[in-house]
Amino acid sequence: MALLRYESQVRAPLVAGDKDYHQVTEDICRPVETRPTKAWWIGFSISVLVLIFGIVSVTMEVTYGVGQWNLNKTIGWGWDITNFVWWIGIGHAGTLISAILLLFRQGWRTGVNRAAEAMTIFAVICAGQFPIWHMGRVWDAFFVFPYPNTRGPLWVNFNSPLLWDVFAISTYFTVSLLFWYSGLIPDVATLRDRAKLKWRKLFYGIAAFGWTGSTKHWQRHEALSLVLAGLATPLVLSVHTIVSFDFATSVVPGWHTTIFPPYFVAGAIFSGFAMVQTLLVVTRKVLALEEYITIEHIDVMNKIIVLTGSIVGIAYLTELFIAWYGGNAFEWHAFKENRLNLASPYGWAYWIMMGCNVLSPQIFWFRKMRRNLFVTFFMSILVNIGMWFERFVIIVTSIYREYLPSAWSTYYSPTIWEVGFYMGTFGLFFTCYFLFAKFFPVIALAEIKHILKKNGENFKEKMGELESETVEEFAEKHGHDHGA
Amino acid sequence: MSQKKYWQGFGEVNDPKNFQKKVKDEFREELPFEDIDSKGLLDAKAPRRDFLKYLGFSTAAATLAASCKTPVRKAIPFANKPENIILGEAKYYATTYVQDGDVIPVLAKTREGRPIKIEGNDLSLFTNGGTSARAQASVLDLYDTYRNRFPSRKVGDKFEESTYEFLDKTIADALAGVSGKQIVFLSSTIVSPSTKEIISKFPNLKHIQYDAVSYAGMLLANEASGFGRKIPSYNFDQAKVIVSLGADFLGTWLSPVEFAAGYSKGRKIDEKNPQMSKHYQFESHLSNTGACADERFTHRPSQAGAVALGLLAALDGSVTAPAIDDNKLKAGIAKVAADLKANSGKALVVSGSNDMNVQVIVNAINNAIGANGSTIDWTRPVNYRQGIDKDMNDLVADMEAGNVGALFIYGANPAYDYHSAEKFKSAISKVKLTVSFGERWDETTSLCTYNLPAHHYLESWGDAEPKAGITSFIQPTIYPLFKTRPYQTSLLRWAGNTTDYDTYFRNYWTMKLGTADAFDKALQDGIMVGAGGTGASYSAAPVANAASALASAKKGGKTEVVLYQKISIGTGTGATNPWLQELPDPISKATWDNYAMISMAKAKELGVKLDMNYEYYPQKPVFEFAVGNKKVQLPVLVIPGMNADTIAIAVGYGRAESLGKTAFEAGQNVYPFISFNGTTVDYFAADVSITDQNKKQKIAQTQIHNSYEGLVEVVRETSLATFKKNPNVIPEYRQEMVEDFAKSTSDFRREATIYPDHSQPGIKWGMTVDMNSCYGCGACVVACHAENNVPVVGRNEVLRYHDMHWLRIDRYFVSDKNNPDDLKGVVFQPMMCQHCDNAPCENVCPVAATNHSTEGMNQMAYNRCIGTRYCANNCPFKVRRFNWADYTGADSFPNNQDQWIVGKLDDVVHQMNDDLTRMVLNPDVTVRSRGVMEKCSFCVQRTQAAKLKAKKENRVLGDGDAKTACQQACTANAIVFGNVHDKASEVSRIREDNKQRSFYVLEQLHVLPNVTYLEKVRNTDEIIENAEGGGSEKKPETSIPASLNKAE
Repeated sequence: MALLRYESQVRAPLVAGDKDYHQVTEDICRPVETRPTKAWWIGFSISVLVLIFGIVSVTMEVTYGVGQWNLNKTIGWGWDITNFVWWIGIGHAGTLISAILLLFRQGWRTGVNRAAEAMTIFAVICAGQFPIWHMGRVWDAFFVFPYPNTRGPLWVNFNSPLLWDVFAISTYFTVSLLFWYSGLIPDVATLRDRAKLKWRKLFYGIAAFGWTGSTKHWQRHEALSLVLAGLATPLVLSVHTIVSFDFATSVVPGWHTTIFPPYFVAGAIFSGFAMVQTLLVVTRKVLALEEYITIEHIDVMNKIIVLTGSIVGIAYLTELFIAWYGGNAFEWHAFKENRLNLASPYGWAYWIMMGCNVLSPQIFWFRKMRRNLFVTFFMSILVNIGMWFERFVIIVTSIYREYLPSAWSTYYSPTIWEVGFYMGTFGLFFTCYFLFAKFFPVIALAEIKHILKKNGENFKEKMGELESETVEEFAEKHGHDHGA
Repeated sequence: MSQKKYWQGFGEVNDPKNFQKKVKDEFREELPFEDIDSKGLLDAKAPRRDFLKYLGFSTAAATLAASCKTPVRKAIPFANKPENIILGEAKYYATTYVQDGDVIPVLAKTREGRPIKIEGNDLSLFTNGGTSARAQASVLDLYDTYRNRFPSRKVGDKFEESTYEFLDKTIADALAGVSGKQIVFLSSTIVSPSTKEIISKFPNLKHIQYDAVSYAGMLLANEASGFGRKIPSYNFDQAKVIVSLGADFLGTWLSPVEFAAGYSKGRKIDEKNPQMSKHYQFESHLSNTGACADERFTHRPSQAGAVALGLLAALDGSVTAPAIDDNKLKAGIAKVAADLKANSGKALVVSGSNDMNVQVIVNAINNAIGANGSTIDWTRPVNYRQGIDKDMNDLVADMEAGNVGALFIYGANPAYDYHSAEKFKSAISKVKLTVSFGERWDETTSLCTYNLPAHHYLESWGDAEPKAGITSFIQPTIYPLFKTRPYQTSLLRWAGNTTDYDTYFRNYWTMKLGTADAFDKALQDGIMVGAGGTGASYSAAPVANAASALASAKKGGKTEVVLYQKISIGTGTGATNPWLQELPDPISKATWDNYAMISMAKAKELGVKLDMNYEYYPQKPVFEFAVGNKKVQLPVLVIPGMNADTIAIAVGYGRAESLGKTAFEAGQNVYPFISFNGTTVDYFAADVSITDQNKKQKIAQTQIHNSYEGLVEVVRETSLATFKKNPNVIPEYRQEMVEDFAKSTSDFRREATIYPDHSQPGIKWGMTVDMNSCYGCGACVVACHAENNVPVVGRNEVLRYHDMHWLRIDRYFVSDKNNPDDLKGVVFQPMMCQHCDNAPCENVCPVAATNHSTEGMNQMAYNRCIGTRYCANNCPFKVRRFNWADYTGADSFPNNQDQWIVGKLDDVVHQMNDDLTRMVLNPDVTVRSRGVMEKCSFCVQRTQAAKLKAKKENRVLGDGDAKTACQQACTANAIVFGNVHDKASEVSRIREDNKQRSFYVLEQLHVLPNVTYLEKVRNTDEIIENAEGGGSEKKPETSIPASLNKAE
């Protein structure tokens, strides 16, 4: 009877613990349906406090002007745009996981995609704060939209990369939000069906948009997912490309570089995966989801980190080489004096960037390290520090000493409100994340069931029974001769 | 005749009475609106009209409740329109800026009866229509909130407001009681002939003129040399060789505007036959003038006599040369002497020393080189400074001895700037009647019993005679703002004359000129040139004595200190002016404070590390400098080109609180360091001890990096010899670019870009800046401040690099590559918006708030700006300025100037927003609110006004109809602006004539600026190699003070 059996031995199951469908539902819905733990309350409170500090920081800036930050006549952008690019970059992993990996039929993505997509949304919300509040006259921010107006032929400037940003980011946010939410609908419906309390029924009932789980619903859901994945895929590449245009299309030595689009995209994915790691290493532990977000997931994502980190490293070196080889004195000065020179005011920032982004990820060539949670967590933090510094290095070390030596700036360091604004976006991010983890399943319930090995296991179990039977026994049991 | 009746309806025929009544009723029938209860509309519970009332009320109430509290601004229209004032149209009055003997003929621009801007008077040939920074800023003094507003007298310790009637009577009574004692009028130099007449007619009045920075040594030396107690006119334009022995004649010495006008003529280069005057400077610290010198030699302040003697000895051997151990200095003296000899009759030596003996030697030198009668004009002696130091000393002695019964003080502030101020303060208490005419509560005014504040010059009538035979008139441009009175009127009254000065002045000149019409004409022109004097001949008699006195002069100690005036603050009179306090010093680029300038060698000796931190952080180490028992603690700034053992400190700082928040707490007073040598006052101290205070103090500099790093794209400078040898460096560089980027059409402008070309069919505005003429004085910077309502941000904001200057003067030091302390030259580069035709700022603005005009101007639409600052980041010239805070009070949000944790605004910002101070604002220029970007507009309000005027007069716009404020202010004609499409315009002509020196900053970026610069040429024989290289290679010779950039 062994001929009846074929089993691939290549992969370990993506969900450990021999779960059946019901068990999966129970596990994933548990954090949503039980009372929040003490740890949740502490984390949530801290996040809200930090968010409030951020709100105060922004209020100060809006009340008193951008002079509340330490930017100056030479350094027009500092922490604000650094943070903007950093947060936007963070978002990219979510889109990559949900869209590109969906198209490539990577089953393992189902364990992490929900959290990663949520992270994308929250990161884009955080990122969006910076270009808005960095404006000198934020109350006129609506000028950036090309709306019909009574001001005569006054229109936005389609030449400006900042305007491209407006479209790129709003599109990105919209598509990401739709993608995330459309994925949530079947899960929300599950929660609705399980709800016992009236408000939960009402809340999840509304949020589920009347999902019944009919075949027609599923069919449309699948189609929509594919369409959105198709839309989101180019966005993974385009958003950061356009963000990089803010710099690449300028005349500032150190910004004006054609390598920026691919380099920014690689960097974004790099930092995004690091952020996913940071979040999931904690989430899986706290919410007891180790069997869904397994060490395999961590391992795979660490592989992506070492790959993208190395791409980024090559980009750094290429950029450096071209700066020298290109023979433009100003550009070479930006690299040699403003960055490479450790004794220059921001030389340290360049070397932190190099250390964190290029050297440290190389540790993930070792399987043992890839599968070590502490190393992973530590590295994910390092990578995010490094990627923050990458943006800081690009923005500040380019402009603080560029063409005219007379305009070379004094030392720039942030004020309490600049730091507060940045911290505030962490507050915003984690407040959102805590609420998300409390009210929605952090793992895509419906999707992960697709990759459960339960069917196979059942089959094997039954087959095993069959195989152990003799022909006679088989005939005995399954024969149609029900006793003459 | 039949009577027909036309009727329309039966009603009209049958019931005409009722019909007529109805016709008159507007609503003949009930309006078809009825409430549900079928009552009439007006009887309804909430009738329609009431609804509208409620709607209106609730909207208004909601608006008020939501309350955007709009600050109340008072605007009072003319009840009766004055005959000569047309709203919106500027009127210009010729008047004269007079400050302690400084005289600059100017035009005051008034709008709606308020003077708002000072311009040079083009009819004044000796100043070439130029102005100084201080003259430009003087209009702000008129609106100073700290001016004395009413007459007052001291009662107990306090001053009480009084009236002129009462004070006239009281003072006249008091004067009657001083019999036997002296009545003294103590003033700074008085240049007004009519005032001098009043003083001379005052019975028994002793007039003592006292200058805070004195030229007594010169006056006495000239007297000894047979010229009389006079200072001659100097013709710098006639001199081929100019030697300055420590005279900052372009910055602060005597009449810098006049000298700069002459000097700059000799610095213009004709490319066909390149030559220029040769300027040698011997000095102790790097002065503004020294920065322009072709060759500089430094010496200790105590060596000034030795240098002069050495020079004279080398020239004619009439004296023995003193021993000079500095070989470079020695060689310099020999070289200069040879050059002077070779240019006899075309050379000039001036000295800034206040030592009579030094000036005697200088007279001998000038005689030896035939300067008298050629470069020195004794027929028009100048009246700028007349004080004799000994007179003041005698006065203080008399006061102490109780010999002075009454003391009137105008313009002099000895309680602050006298070398023994403490002595003066105690002596003044022994004078029974003390009267000050001070416009402000300066240190001396506070000590007097009576204060009768004088007018600001823009409120005054008056005259000034800067030079023999040249008179410049002062006429009021505004009714006196406060209860002030000309001090001349007081003097007239107390002398028993009841006419006031206004009438006296009018009569004086009408009589002199013959007719009232002639007087009116003179007032209108503002300046009147009459015959000069006859001159005098030189006598060598005092030379031997002077030489021996100098030879035996005491040698200095290890370190010496020299006091100098800043171009902005001067002797201290500019200290109350926010524009001047915020004007960066041409050399140090520091604002708001004084400091000790030291050499790099000294820095090393004192243990000041010139590392990265020194440059990038504003905190500079503080040292205590002690001369005898007088001490000050000041931060140091390390400046190349200083004499190794000399420390230079600016006077005029450390003012009393009563002068206002601008002057108070800015720097330290170093006047106590000056000393009286028996005949004159020395502005140096030959022995200073220095102790490290182990603390730091911030200095607000607007530029921190001192070298242009050899970037020839930014700054082009060369030597005359190199330029002659290789004149086509710049054209060749351009040719190279054309070959690289415009291969097919050779049209660099169009081919080297993907952007379309702006069409500029009519006018195209352009500017050219001659870096050879610019001497960095900063008049243009202040003019720009005044013209364009550029905000003052205060020390703390400058420290945060938030200064708002639309126009700045970049200053670069060029040093010897091996020894950065050995300064080879200084380059001044006025930098403003370059109005690029392919502007990088324009295409990055998301809302198109900055855009290009058809006349080639890069424009800002402030209302559209949302403040992303992308334009500023992308501006290669870094000329865009962002409103980091509500500096101007123009924001619509209330209470946003009371920053607390970060970015607290200085008091001066609030002072500049005072209703009184805001009267100085130019109504033609928008006051920018917080959060918007601003920058040089090429004075677009002026070009628009000029175009409008030409249009009204139905003519073509002429060259010079529109002048930018900076161009107008420049004495040296370094800035020329105009229509470059007009081939006959000055700007086109200069560009055409100077093709070999004309360059664009960062031309390789293809931003296509509309500002050209003319290369700076130093008149030396040095051949700068690699200069033909162009491109982006660095020139190693002009490399930077390397130690300023590298960490140690």
